[in-house]
Amino acid sequence: MNATYIQNSIAQLKTEIFMDVRHRTLQKYTGVPVLDENQLFYLLVPFLNGEEWQQEQREAAITVGIVYAALATHDHIKEFDATSKEQQLTVLAGDFYSGRYYEILAMSGNVALIRSLSQGIVARCEHQIKVYETEKRTIEQWFDSISNIESGLISKFFELYSFSEYIPIMEKSLLILRLEREWATYRRGQVTSMSRALEESARYAGLTYNDVIQNKIVQLKTELLQVIENASFLQSDVKQALQARVEASIASTNG
Amino acid sequence: MEKMKLKLLYSDLKSDIDIIEKELEKAVNSSSDLINDASLHLLQAGGKRIRPIFVLLGAKFGEYDIDKMKDVAVPVELIHMASLVHDDVIDDSNMRRGRPTVKSQWNNRVAMYTGDFIFARALEYITKLEDPLVHQILARTMVEICNGEVIQIEDKFRLDQGLKDYFRRIKRKTALLISSSCELGAVAAGVDAKTVRHLKRFGYFVGMSFQIIDDVLDIMATDKELGKPAGSDLLQGNITLPILLLKDDPEMQPYLVKVFAGTLTETERQKMLRYVRKSDAIEQANKMSDKYLKKALQEIDALPKHPVKKKLRDVALFMGKRKF
Repeated sequence: MNATYIQNSIAQLKTEIFMDVRHRTLQKYTGVPVLDENQLFYLLVPFLNGEEWQQEQREAAITVGIVYAALATHDHIKEFDATSKEQQLTVLAGDFYSGRYYEILAMSGNVALIRSLSQGIVARCEHQIKVYETEKRTIEQWFDSISNIESGLISKFFELYSFSEYIPIMEKSLLILRLEREWATYRRGQVTSMSRALEESARYAGLTYNDVIQNKIVQLKTELLQVIENASFLQSDVKQALQARVEASIASTNG
Repeated sequence: MEKMKLKLLYSDLKSDIDIIEKELEKAVNSSSDLINDASLHLLQAGGKRIRPIFVLLGAKFGEYDIDKMKDVAVPVELIHMASLVHDDVIDDSNMRRGRPTVKSQWNNRVAMYTGDFIFARALEYITKLEDPLVHQILARTMVEICNGEVIQIEDKFRLDQGLKDYFRRIKRKTALLISSSCELGAVAAGVDAKTVRHLKRFGYFVGMSFQIIDDVLDIMATDKELGKPAGSDLLQGNITLPILLLKDDPEMQPYLVKVFAGTLTETERQKMLRYVRKSDAIEQANKMSDKYLKKALQEIDALPKHPVKKKLRDVALFMGKRKF
């Protein structure tokens, strides 16, 4: 398995997701669904590692991708320009994708995954809304929330299909990637609602935002390399691909 | 007065409706205080709960068990609630049923997460039922409702539309979920296919009649009764039946030009409402609603003999003649 094979697998999954949610009007005004290739890669790791991956697992992975696209679409809703056609259709695009994931699973009778993903969405919404609550939270609680937002739905899919051993690698990787994005955005002088929340908790604990994020990323990368190294269920080429991603990430952070 | 009538109408279902109300509260219970506040804010705003009522009435033709029926009735109402929260973001509405909307009480993002949360809870709830047919009916309905809303946005501020466009829109916007409520209740209770078909069609016709009356009330009712400014539909660009029937009226034209340009003053809004209220468009719209109501009653006639048929008729007539 080489980088091209991985890239092709991700591209194929993306295409299948796009096909399942295509809608002429929505695409005209809101573009294609928002998909994070890193999330798709970690969603595919069991497949890349040769786990049983029949039509059911393939369809399940597609619907997980659709749910992420639905929720990510709603993350783009703004407080201003509220009645623009684009904003109105962005709300509906997210709802349409949610309807489609449900329809696909209903047609194949996969009630168990509908249940798991619904529970995952409930938890994700509860974590996402935390930034608008007044309750004081610790930095670790915010890291838990970010982790759930990034990887909770993939975990639900892994748990249902007995891929649970992949969860620690996927969770740590996606948390690192999100923290790196938050840090890069912060360094450009832009503030997200999550970075504001993290900064406030860091200040409350007598720390700086930079230190908190940097230390967490370093700690996670160390742990992640260790987990990959010890993962006896991983084929050597998959192990190498995962290690290469962490090292590329370390290089980009240092560079 | 109207609410009293409605309560009287549902009196023999009261204990089951109370169970559903309690379940709705449980269903939206969250580990997030903000979601709890927003969801309770919505629940306390009330609503006619017509969709759960139709689930229960549809189920009466089969093996009626409230413990099972609540697993259908609750999610159907939750989906309706979630769509209202998102609709208020789409329409930038600040008031609904006389109360601030979630988006105005908090903000758009909170409304989006609350809607997504309620929607997910609805699906989590209905997975207590394993029958794939139940899920297929609900899923198709949800996708179609969404398609209807997309069309509604495309049709906004467009006067080059006909009655066919309007009926296609209200079918998806309202009639489908009412139709599916009747169908889902019946399917979950194991009702035979022929009866399910009549119930589904009954729900569709009642839903069409209901939405036409809703559109008439948006013009005829007072701001206080509506809990929002009368004529809000038109102000948001939605061309409802009474307006569609008046679109070529020379006296209506200047108002429409101003509405579309966003320059209609409050005095002009009042004058416009007075004009539409006096026009025969209201009577024509009411007649169209009656036509659908008549078709709904014909579907009841085709149902097998059952005491609940009278209740279906009463609820349909109430909805077609309601004043709020």
